Amino acid sequence: MVRSPYFTTLTTLLSYRILFLFGHLRDLFEKLLDWSKLNNLQGYAPICFGYEDFYTRRLHLRIQDCFERPIASAPDAWFDVVERYSNDNNKTLCRTEKTTKCLNLGSYNYLGFAAADEYCSTPRVIRSLKQYSVSTCSARVDGGTTKLHVELEDLIARFVGKPAAILFGMGYATNSAIIPALIGKGGLIISDSLNHNSIVNGARGSGATIRVFQHNNASHLEEVLREQIAYGQPHMYRPWNKIIVIIEGIYSMEGEFCKLPEIIAVCKKYKAYTYLDEAHSIGAVGRTGRGVCEQLGVDTADVDIMMGTLTKSFGSCGGYIAASKEIIQYLKQTCPAHLYATSMSPPAVQQAISSMKVILGEDGTNRGAKKLTQIRENSNFFRSELQKMGFEVLGDKDSPIMPIMLYNIAKIPAFSRECLSQNLAIVTIAFPYTPLLLARARICISAAHTREDLIKALEVISKVGDLVGIKYFPVEHLTLDKVKTSTK
Amino acid sequence: MGKLYVEAKPSVDLNKNTEWFMYPGVWTTYIAILFVSWLLVLSVFGCTPGAAWTVVNLFHFAVTYHFFHWKKGTPFAEDQGIYNALTWWEQMDNGKQLTRNRKFLTAVPVVLYLIASHTTDYQQPMLILNTLAVFVLVVAKFPNMHKVRIFGINAGN
Repeated sequence: MVRSPYFTTLTTLLSYRILFLFGHLRDLFEKLLDWSKLNNLQGYAPICFGYEDFYTRRLHLRIQDCFERPIASAPDAWFDVVERYSNDNNKTLCRTEKTTKCLNLGSYNYLGFAAADEYCSTPRVIRSLKQYSVSTCSARVDGGTTKLHVELEDLIARFVGKPAAILFGMGYATNSAIIPALIGKGGLIISDSLNHNSIVNGARGSGATIRVFQHNNASHLEEVLREQIAYGQPHMYRPWNKIIVIIEGIYSMEGEFCKLPEIIAVCKKYKAYTYLDEAHSIGAVGRTGRGVCEQLGVDTADVDIMMGTLTKSFGSCGGYIAASKEIIQYLKQTCPAHLYATSMSPPAVQQAISSMKVILGEDGTNRGAKKLTQIRENSNFFRSELQKMGFEVLGDKDSPIMPIMLYNIAKIPAFSRECLSQNLAIVTIAFPYTPLLLARARICISAAHTREDLIKALEVISKVGDLVGIKYFPVEHLTLDKVKTSTK
Repeated sequence: MGKLYVEAKPSVDLNKNTEWFMYPGVWTTYIAILFVSWLLVLSVFGCTPGAAWTVVNLFHFAVTYHFFHWKKGTPFAEDQGIYNALTWWEQMDNGKQLTRNRKFLTAVPVVLYLIASHTTDYQQPMLILNTLAVFVLVVAKFPNMHKVRIFGINAGN
């Protein structure tokens, strides 16, 4: 629930109007003055229709230097950002040889496994690289299943708390290839309104009917379920083959958990299946890192299918699905991502195995437990400090993702560029990845951040926030100096 | 205004081209833009208030007709072109007719017409132009005109 000042909403709408107007004027002038250049494609259909790329050309390209910045080192707590310059007003960007060392508040490096780790990378991953080579070069059903893949699937099943699991090489492909294998025409998918693009693509590709319920609103979900079950399939009014409700563990643009107990209760009442996408929450939340089910106290047997990715907390790549033995057996025979796609690279599998063992404590040390407490303390400290300074920060307690609301679109490049000039790398997010009026800067806290890093980041953000004017809420009186002396 | 806060609830509308219209403050911004443009026309041209309202009315007709009823599709490619045959007006509220937003947007040209014709004292050349503008706009917003293309105008891709 975002509370924005009314005046800010008005000015944001006005600024969008002005930008659109200028964009259309530029298009008009381009058509009038450059009409000779546009007409040399006689008989060929255009690659994109004139209006489709309007947003990219006229709005996104103007602030292109704030997005997709290249880096020159591993994305640890501090990393090297490559400097870029542009000679034609951000239409094209040129890289230079120079890099700046910046504090990394943008990588999904929740437990700090993104850089070299003494247990994971040396010697285990390098040993598996020498033994199994970089890629298996075949699909899982051909020659792509090694001992490591089987070990990781068993480990994932044990970690998540389900009977069996299946592994894929890419997290996005997990969602977009599994959902069509689970449900088809004649089925109903009810997904949260803020679900990730991979789920939307998978749902569209499945051919099932899609309905959306209001974000995290279990009573609206119940309303939608009742209405759909009563009406049945469109045009035929027959009962649905199956109904799957898809939700995420942590929503990466809001930083808040899903209301899992209420939603599971509604689904059980109406006998709908549940699909939980724990891309950001597995390994990062929960007392022992087992995700939102542990955090919110839900039994994993109540969720039918649990999906997750190994990219964020485990420092590897790929995704998994954990469910009952029958579902996993069925998926192994039908899912194209298992039958035809190349299997996950063995060193990446070993990295996931090692990091999971560290989190579980099976490497013989308590580094896993220390990392989990570190990220929880870091997140809570950072969020409470930001809120005291007057920023509007979203997200629940214990969540390592905190978006800071910016609203006005001109504040996006202002905030981003000013922070970069002070050696703080922050990701800013604009439309269409968030709703139009709710542009934000998103911070991802990591267990690799020390308290000094966070205090430095808070100082920079406070200064830049004053310059840009995003302290929308009244400031509380406890200042940063008092916090520094109280934590020493 | 002090610190007046509004809640911005994310709406269920999947079409990103129209979901921004559900947020608080949109109607106020629309009316504010019309009023400020009237003041601008008055200060730039130094004409009578009635002539200024006529200019605003005609500009409003041109701009809203172009963006609401002529331009089809959405300005981004992520929705894979499922709305490419629909104008913005037809995409609004997922095609549902007679919602609050649609009623408001139909009322605005009518109110503008009343103000413009009243301040010009119903004199001739302005009256015809204003009436034509409001007639075209209101007819284009009728529920029966949903997806109708007269004589095939604007039907092509």
